[in-house]
Amino acid sequence: MRPARNPNHAIAASIAAVAFAAIAATFTFEPVPPGLPGLGAVEFPRLVSAILFLLALILGLTAASPTSEDDAPRISSRAWLIFALCLGFLPVMEIVGMIPAIPLFLLVVGLLWGGTAWPTLALSALGMGIAIWIIFVKIFRLTLPKGWLVTLLGF
Amino acid sequence: MEGFLGGLAILVDPWVMFMVFLGTVLGIFVGALPGISGSTTIALMLPMTIAMGPIPAICFLGAIYCAANFGGSITAIMVNAPGDPSASATALEGYKMAEKGQAGLALGMSAVSSAIGGIFSIFVLIIAAPLLARAAYSFGPPEYFALAVFGLSMCAAIGGDSAVKNLIAAALGVLIATVGMDLTTGVERFAFGIDELADGIKFVPVLIGLFAVGEMLDQVVRRAEKAKIIAMDAARVPGMAEFRKCNRSIWIGSGIGTFIGALPALGATTAALIGYNETRRWSKHKEEFGKGSIEGVAGPEAANNAAVGGSMVPTLALGIPGSATTAIILAALIVQGVRPGPHLFTEQPTLLYAVFASMLAANLFYLALGLYMAKFFARISLVPPAILWPFVFVLSIIGAYGPDQSMGDVVIMLVAGVVGFLFRRTGFSPAPLIMGLVLGGKMEETLKQSLIIFGDDVSMFATRPIAMALLSITAIGLFWPLIARFWRMLGVQR
Repeated sequence: MRPARNPNHAIAASIAAVAFAAIAATFTFEPVPPGLPGLGAVEFPRLVSAILFLLALILGLTAASPTSEDDAPRISSRAWLIFALCLGFLPVMEIVGMIPAIPLFLLVVGLLWGGTAWPTLALSALGMGIAIWIIFVKIFRLTLPKGWLVTLLGF
Repeated sequence: MEGFLGGLAILVDPWVMFMVFLGTVLGIFVGALPGISGSTTIALMLPMTIAMGPIPAICFLGAIYCAANFGGSITAIMVNAPGDPSASATALEGYKMAEKGQAGLALGMSAVSSAIGGIFSIFVLIIAAPLLARAAYSFGPPEYFALAVFGLSMCAAIGGDSAVKNLIAAALGVLIATVGMDLTTGVERFAFGIDELADGIKFVPVLIGLFAVGEMLDQVVRRAEKAKIIAMDAARVPGMAEFRKCNRSIWIGSGIGTFIGALPALGATTAALIGYNETRRWSKHKEEFGKGSIEGVAGPEAANNAAVGGSMVPTLALGIPGSATTAIILAALIVQGVRPGPHLFTEQPTLLYAVFASMLAANLFYLALGLYMAKFFARISLVPPAILWPFVFVLSIIGAYGPDQSMGDVVIMLVAGVVGFLFRRTGFSPAPLIMGLVLGGKMEETLKQSLIIFGDDVSMFATRPIAMALLSITAIGLFWPLIARFWRMLGVQR
């Protein structure tokens, strides 16, 4: 039987890669004028990256214990869709503005999440949208993104 | 004492008092919501406090911190789902009591012991913090550097799968803190020509992303069922007989909680678990544990609330966070232009004592609210996740965008959210990363200053006894597993 894959090895490799990339990036920093006392701009990040690399090595070598990855549930297609909607919130906000995008997002994600009837979701999405408008726009006087469509329509 | 009375006088200001009350109600509310912890809420609320001014802002956040620990116990008792991680020990006995029809008594004891633990630790804070600050007056950059290293090494013991993973997260936090312009040389580091990174990575979007969005994405994957609430009688003040029974547990919990809280990085959850174990160890009714022991509710509840005051001691006196939540409060102080440390006691004593007084008031508020409105707060756990979590995401977007009205901050927040989500899935805790981020700047600055003082000779650290003691404790703590293994090997050979 093939032994189970230990995710800690992959984690350790990723961390080591980050540390290595950070060390490499320090060589692209602008040089410091010579003669300045104490540490320059590159030494501290290099020191921290080297410690990070060492810790990743230790994790990789001592990664025998089971990790919580074993307990982490699989990401379902519905979860991926909600992730995509979270990312999609930004472009939608750019188009219709933040205040109209909020109830829309709350309703669609709520429906995808499941377990709650749509009239309840619609009502709460509308209520929360209004509450956010009152608190942030009217009370805190925050200028939230309006969206080019709203600007185009002259609102 | 004069300073404390000045702090109490600030509470007479209706605006400050209102913020403390609001923070208490919000703290109980979110504490009772499984999944949303006090630290998540403080991270979410931080941007909204920027315009308030330092005193109301810190009083508000401090009240949330105090009340969230108590709020977590309500759902731990009623639903067996701790609303806050620090209430996980309370669920062990509290839910068993609720099943036996003693939910009201468990909630009452939880409120009273939480308030006693919280008030005890605030008095310790009032006495110990100025003493610690006075001692820290003699600290120079080498001592502060050693203290920051010690604080980060303590991260090994918080949350997550393993000590190594916690240290990796802390080191990542320190590395992130180096992003932006180096103040001593003017060199831009890890900015890659991106304007948003040139000034360094801001605390607010990272905090919101790691805690709120990371948790939200994790909840998307888990999509937990709606909680089922247990029937309850009204919360009631425990009688004299119950008090006599729990007297020892409350004081054990209060003492342990204050001490654990004062240690850098260790917070209320560790305090509650150790408080529970010690309560059981010293109990005269050990047989009741596991079947619904009222002492098992009193001990950890006193401990987790006592940890709040305890964790504020190093945060305010030294600028070294006592827990993940105080790391966020420390960030809030910095955002408000207040730099915690010993000089704070001479420069801004009013602010400090206002914080102490507001925490005291928050404890009294949640005692009253807990006893009279526990039934209402318990119903909070019935809020459907399909409504709650998308709303948390929207609030996170506004929170990241609000302070500087920058979409770049929203993107940083989303990236931090993905990191927070991956952390949770791979057994990392986000708390050490925050500690690293908060302490990283101070660490680099004090190391640079130390090396200038020492003429670039690292061995000169040996001439500073306090710094050496702290570095030695750090080294022993980090290498203890190796030392212990070596001793065991020696024992086997003999």
